[in-house]
Amino acid sequence: MRVLLNSAAYRIAFGYSLAFALATLLLGLAVHYAAHAAFVRQIDASIDQATTGVMAEFRDDGLRGVIEAVRQRENGGPVSLGYAIFDRRGRRIAGELNTTMPPLGWHPINFVDPQEGLDPARAKATALGPSHRLVVAADLEPLERIDGTILTMFGIAFAALLLFGVTGALLLGAYLRRKLARIDDTARAIVAGELSRRMAIGPRLDEFDRVGDSINAMLDRISGLLANLRQVTSDLAHDLRTPLARLRNQLERLGDDMANDDRRETIYAAVESTDDVLKLFDAILRISELEEGSLKRGFSNLDLGGLVEEIAESHLALAEDSGKSLSVLIEDGDNMVQGDRELIAQALINLIENALRHTPRGAAIGISVQSDPGDIAMVVRDNGPGIPETHHARVLERFVRLEASRSTPGHGLGLSLVQAVARAHGASLALRDCKPGLEVALHFPRVRTG
Amino acid sequence: MRILIAEDDREMAEFVGRGLSELGHNVVTARNGTDALHLGATEDFDLLILDRMMPGADGLSIVRRLRAANIATPTLMLTALGRIEDRVDGLEAGADDYLVKPFAFSELAARVHALGRRAKPQAVTTKLAAGPIQMDLLSREVRRDGQLVLLQPREFRVLEELMRHAGEFVTRTMLLERVWDFHFDPQTKIVETHISRLRSKLNEGDLPDRIETVRGVGYRIRAE
Repeated sequence: MRVLLNSAAYRIAFGYSLAFALATLLLGLAVHYAAHAAFVRQIDASIDQATTGVMAEFRDDGLRGVIEAVRQRENGGPVSLGYAIFDRRGRRIAGELNTTMPPLGWHPINFVDPQEGLDPARAKATALGPSHRLVVAADLEPLERIDGTILTMFGIAFAALLLFGVTGALLLGAYLRRKLARIDDTARAIVAGELSRRMAIGPRLDEFDRVGDSINAMLDRISGLLANLRQVTSDLAHDLRTPLARLRNQLERLGDDMANDDRRETIYAAVESTDDVLKLFDAILRISELEEGSLKRGFSNLDLGGLVEEIAESHLALAEDSGKSLSVLIEDGDNMVQGDRELIAQALINLIENALRHTPRGAAIGISVQSDPGDIAMVVRDNGPGIPETHHARVLERFVRLEASRSTPGHGLGLSLVQAVARAHGASLALRDCKPGLEVALHFPRVRTG
Repeated sequence: MRILIAEDDREMAEFVGRGLSELGHNVVTARNGTDALHLGATEDFDLLILDRMMPGADGLSIVRRLRAANIATPTLMLTALGRIEDRVDGLEAGADDYLVKPFAFSELAARVHALGRRAKPQAVTTKLAAGPIQMDLLSREVRRDGQLVLLQPREFRVLEELMRHAGEFVTRTMLLERVWDFHFDPQTKIVETHISRLRSKLNEGDLPDRIETVRGVGYRIRAE
């Protein structure tokens, strides 16, 4: 029920069919009243006509003529009219209309029908001279039957309309929901990172197809702009490398020629600064290269366990020097993955560097390779301050550095590069807030053997 | 050394040529691939420095053709392409070393030096010596003044690289390539920490430091 109420498609369809049914009901009532009034007018006209006829006899032949005329009419006139003549004391002296004497003028009365008992009727009482009274009445039963028929017909029509309306609303609602759900699913997939997904366009080019088409055009434009942004970034990095390298080489020459030790030191420090910028550019270009995704050629089967052990071992001294402990755990089993040794090494080094950089002295960093049936995970976990879950998506973006790490060195590309390496290998990157500490895991797909 | 530089970019050719001349090398410059191939095939050089992309013939095809003609002159490939695949291409074609532009001149100089030594036939050595330090590559023992120095496997490999080029600079990048087999800069201080461990182990007991660091260039172990 909640689904029905919460859905705009259902609400619109239901509302529309309800309004339609109500309009039908109103129309029915109007028809009913108009027909009823017309019928009453027709009855009144025939009562008037009969009364005039009988009164004409009264003027010609007096009371006797009236009684004779009533008797004749009852035997041969229209059956629906009944007649009665009352004397001054209200006693019926002629006519078969079995009722008590009504006052003069138009009145609804009840009479006793020989077959059906008490029946409602419409009656007109007219004075016959000073003492007697003529009553002409019409049985209302046919009117009631017509009223009933009209009401029944419209009632059935109303019910049928409601039924059709609800069925139609359910079908239309389901159809709209299905159409919209497809758009929604695609949009969500795109938000989740499947940037290449597009809306399905049907052959009919209906409104949904046109919306889908516009959304696709918009997505293409956004992709184009993103690609453009990346292109500009990597072009910039690429084009600035050459003049920077020249600057670096000139500085180095200058340093070599410098006799003054202090100045030479300053110049070498400048050389190192340019090296840092060059390294940053290299990282940007490497990420671009990975994102283009044309690297598979260099991929081979490699033992992730051995590689992780090798890299971790090379970092033991580094961790020790910064007062942190580094432990390695390689789970037994088949740890073969498809990939580029240096790229995976780079990803792991970035994760270790991150862990070393963002934890206080005394922190413990655990590196492991976990062999699961579905995948092989390379995991780096620390017990430092960690990253709150709300920031997990953000830290993977390029150049993003959280407020807490502004004071530490780095350029905010480390995790982006890890992410790019993961994508190039079809691996998924998962961040977990271990409270305390951060766990980053790269899940590599298992190499299919045989 | 007699060095052929094949580079179509005048500025780059002059920069490399002048630098290497200042180091005492005899430099010949070719401005296109056709000249470079002709010179490399007809004249005697100790080292070829080839730009990968040149008019005429590109660096890759020059190396391939020279190697096919049994000319084994050590070759250093220069390239503006820093992609992983490009390096693989270069080495597969038969180049001995590969340097991505832009590069630091000191990096080039160190590599030219190392390649030049490779040109001379070397006896297969199992023992290395530099001053008071002796290395036995078979028993994997290091001794300083006869005293055994215990090294971790990677520290041993770093020292071996320095000893093989005793008296010459070995750059950080060269160490990454040769000891760790990393052909990219992992932007980590593993080289520095390994050198510092190596130093403290070799200098145990306040002995004078045998490893020289030159900022922005690399490391050199004293030969004498």
